[in-house]
Amino acid sequence: MPEGLRVALVIAAKDIRAELRSRTALLSAIVFAALVLVIFNFARDPTVLSATDLAPSALWVTFSFAAMVAMNRAFTVEREHGALDGLLLAPVSRGALFAGKVLANLAFVGAVEAIALPLFVLFFNVDLTRALPGIVATAALATIGFVAVGTIFGAMAVRTRFAELMLPVLLLPFMVPPLIGAVQVTSRLLAERPLSEMWGWLRLLALYDIGFVTLAALSFAFVVDE
Amino acid sequence: MPTEPPANGGYMVAGYLVTAGILIGYYLSLLRRARKSVKSEKGPP
Amino acid sequence: MTAIARPPTLDQARAVTRRGLAMSAVALVGIAGACVLALGFTPTEARQGLAQKIFYLHVPAAWSALLAFSLVGVAGALYLWLEDSRLDRFSAASAEVGVAFAAVMLTTGPIWAKPIWGTWWTWDARLTLTLFLFFLFVGYLALRAAIHDRQERARFSAVLGIMGLLLVPFVHLSVYLFRTLHPQPIVLKPSAPSLPWEMLRTLLVSTVMFTLLYVGYVTTRYGIGLAADAREHRDAD
Repeated sequence: MPEGLRVALVIAAKDIRAELRSRTALLSAIVFAALVLVIFNFARDPTVLSATDLAPSALWVTFSFAAMVAMNRAFTVEREHGALDGLLLAPVSRGALFAGKVLANLAFVGAVEAIALPLFVLFFNVDLTRALPGIVATAALATIGFVAVGTIFGAMAVRTRFAELMLPVLLLPFMVPPLIGAVQVTSRLLAERPLSEMWGWLRLLALYDIGFVTLAALSFAFVVDE
Repeated sequence: MPTEPPANGGYMVAGYLVTAGILIGYYLSLLRRARKSVKSEKGPP
Repeated sequence: MTAIARPPTLDQARAVTRRGLAMSAVALVGIAGACVLALGFTPTEARQGLAQKIFYLHVPAAWSALLAFSLVGVAGALYLWLEDSRLDRFSAASAEVGVAFAAVMLTTGPIWAKPIWGTWWTWDARLTLTLFLFFLFVGYLALRAAIHDRQERARFSAVLGIMGLLLVPFVHLSVYLFRTLHPQPIVLKPSAPSLPWEMLRTLLVSTVMFTLLYVGYVTTRYGIGLAADAREHRDAD
């Protein structure tokens, strides 16, 4: 396989192994996701707002905040171990480095989403039998966008004084377009609406991913190099 | 039948006053900071 | 390779801030003149009433904020290419000035919306983009404040600026898609047909004055940045 891809996979594997050993980011994010889902449920008046009306928003708020928690922790852990500096000394292409980091973050966030989804089905009593493939695909599309931007901003935030606060402050405006798209598509999937009604939003998600993954990959070098 | 335009002059006044406040306020802030920053301090190092 | 420029002096900074302040003062007077034009010499829009006159401040402020924001992004991209610290100093100035204009937008927007649309806030393209610009500016300034190394700060800000610039069309697209599905109830529909020439004239005058104010503010703020750099160089010697 091409050198760049191999490097990216090696980097991703290293990060994932490190996280599997300590498990802190993953656990914090999962606990957080569960809490958010519970709170959403208690914060609604069941006579006014049905579970299905609230469900898409609840799911996506959970996913996006849990993603931020996961990415934040991942970078903090890396900073504590000084791992990034060692990597930079090696003649690794910055694009491959970015891809590796993104893959690792995708794995973390994907794991959190995979665990949050059954909890969501449980708490909100939704029937996902028809909608599941669509929801997984939408989650993949939206998550790629969040994670690409979150990875580069995480790399910046980790070098600032208030790293844990800086990442959400920078990232939240960028999460809104994929979030809107994801909520709209999810809501239509749950209501079993025809594909034609989701097309515009899916295109938004795809365009966002293409645009921001490219820009983030190109800019990553400027963030990690002197 | 021609209708009278709605009586919302109060909003107009509010909008103009707020704008003036922000723009003039920012100008004064720049003025103060500019004066402070280019003051040459002559004295023992 | 980094361009080595002569370090700035306090005298240079003083000249720049003076020029900036003078220009800003002239522009402010010009805006006051535009207000007089708007209030006394422009016909009142029949269906929206007097509140519509906020238009002559809101739209030029929007233009200035968007200009400020775009230039932050463009200067950032140029900085990553040319590594000239003047570009970074300019970006910092333009971002701060942009916050001021965005603040005008964010206040006049709801003040105008309330009598026309019946609510303080609507998620229409204009107001939503205003809010986003504001958050992006604030994030940009927060990032700058949190990094002490000059070059790192310049590089990171540039990256953020460029990414912010890419976000703008996506916000537009999101709002467009959202609005075609959720049309807002309107109390009074803002007039869409071509503006009578007096309104256009007043809008143009106001826009020119707001642009001049942008230039004046940025020049002043740039000068303040120059002074800070001059001090740093002097103290380091």
